[in-house]
Amino acid sequence: MSDKDFELKAVHGQGIAGPGRGPGAREGHSEMPPSEIEAREFNFYYGAFHALADINLAVPRHRVTALIGPSGCGKSTFLRSINRMHDQTPGARSTGELRFGNEDINKTSDLTALRQRIGMIFQRPNPFPMSIYDNVAYGMRLESQRTPKAEVKERVEKALRSAFLWDEVRDKLRHSGLALSGGQQQRLCIARAIAVQPQVVLMDEPCAALDPIATLAIEDLIHELEKDYTILIVTHNMQQAARVSDYTAFFTTDESRTGQLVEHGPTQTIFTNPRDRRTEDYISGRFG
Amino acid sequence: MNASHELDLDTGEAFTGRPTRALRRARMADNLVTGLMWAAALLLVVVLLAVVISLLAAGLPTWSIPFLFSAGTFLNPGILPQIWVSFYTLILTMVVVVPIGTGASIYLSEYAGPGRVTSVIRFSVEALASVPSIVYGVFGSIVFLTNLQLGYSLLSGALTLALLNLPLMVRVGEEAIRSVPNSYREGSQALAASKWETIRKVVLPSAMPGLLTAIVLTSGRIIGETAPLILTMGTTISPNARYSLNPLATGETLAVQIWAIKSVGMPGVPRAQDVANGAAAVMLFIVLAINVLVAVFNSRLQKRLQGGNLPPRAGSSKRGGG
Repeated sequence: MSDKDFELKAVHGQGIAGPGRGPGAREGHSEMPPSEIEAREFNFYYGAFHALADINLAVPRHRVTALIGPSGCGKSTFLRSINRMHDQTPGARSTGELRFGNEDINKTSDLTALRQRIGMIFQRPNPFPMSIYDNVAYGMRLESQRTPKAEVKERVEKALRSAFLWDEVRDKLRHSGLALSGGQQQRLCIARAIAVQPQVVLMDEPCAALDPIATLAIEDLIHELEKDYTILIVTHNMQQAARVSDYTAFFTTDESRTGQLVEHGPTQTIFTNPRDRRTEDYISGRFG
Repeated sequence: MNASHELDLDTGEAFTGRPTRALRRARMADNLVTGLMWAAALLLVVVLLAVVISLLAAGLPTWSIPFLFSAGTFLNPGILPQIWVSFYTLILTMVVVVPIGTGASIYLSEYAGPGRVTSVIRFSVEALASVPSIVYGVFGSIVFLTNLQLGYSLLSGALTLALLNLPLMVRVGEEAIRSVPNSYREGSQALAASKWETIRKVVLPSAMPGLLTAIVLTSGRIIGETAPLILTMGTTISPNARYSLNPLATGETLAVQIWAIKSVGMPGVPRAQDVANGAAAVMLFIVLAINVLVAVFNSRLQKRLQGGNLPPRAGSSKRGGG
């Protein structure tokens, strides 16, 4: 199969035509920026099950990259391996490289440092059962990231402002985070993640549990965050991928249910002029 | 009732205005079962009321300031020394049960993987939980009284009660910690918290209501336990060791006192039965008070943690709105 050739090309940004902008994205960058995270021949296994095969994918810095594909194609598995959330899963292991800066994520011994730089937003908003303020300050109060009190206060406000939540909660910072609406909770989780000043934010279907209005608020926020963070977002929603992402990676499964990367490129190209038949079928709704 | 009409319309059956036979029968069975379950639930309330009313009727007349708040005289004994011993024993026992029990709960729910060691621990907890309390009493008298030479003492009694209550504490505690949504743990770990930080800062506070329930359950048992205490703590309070903090003194809790009066009596004290009834009413009052206090504390805690909302449960699809 010649898939691998395509993937390698995608990694190096060659053979991809067009200005490279998602339909809903802002004007600007046309050429692929340097990559923040790069998977090289990355394989992932749950015990005997081969979940991801030979993934080669470069995630450009300060851009939004969407991971799309049918259920069970391994896109969430890939996302979660980027901050090693699989470490607790019995039997989970990986081979190949997952470059982040100068290190290999798979081999890094300092998980704390890794997760400080790579934050994560989950499918279901998961604020802790504590006050809004304490939620956002949580990371800064950890042993490894101990921050002076005055600075914590400053950064909590900044993070809440960045998450477009400050105006709604400024008068009730001492209230429980769980008293907020679902959309506000998810923005609180985003504030909590960016308060520790990561470089990368991983989002695993962040709007799956939200209504359309709350979803739009999160999407606006993602556009704003793109200036300062590299964002990877897993989504089942094609329109969402088209609206928020600059680059899109399409995953699918083969006969043995092993996930693989079919193609990767500027969102506009993937949506309007995909090279692979499977991508086209998926995007036009004929499959998945 | 027009339910039958709607049902006919819903199922698309011809509207006759009369429920079909099958429907009538189904509805009768439904009513019957509902009624039976309602009666069963009502029975519990009746039993509780019967216990409270009969104990209060028998015990309240005995209550008086000297009865409740002093050691009284020979002919008119007061029960303050026994109340003191009950609470002191409760505290001594809790000092052992809470840290060890919570530690084991945390280990079993957060650290223990599937494997031989875990199954051995789990089996031990289950087995210990079903050992009758008198057996713990015999064990305590062998180990604490004889081997460790602690004699009949508050300490021997408290340690025996601790052994008796640990399995319950561990089981309920583990359940409480397990019920903390996994999303909390993931969220904390994704923020670079260590496992212990996650447990300390997120998991344990969230499990606190459940842990408190475990503590209440064990407290109730400690206040009410008799058999093992008779064998390890004794049935007397020495007049010169009343309100003593010395854990090596002998002691008699309220529950043991009631047993002693009802089985052995108090020679030369005509009011002995009244004393037992009054003490039983006090015990009932103490146990109910602990329950109410913890319930109030729990609901406040819940409010502070959750802001009035219920915690998200794994797999539920509630609160999807924006």
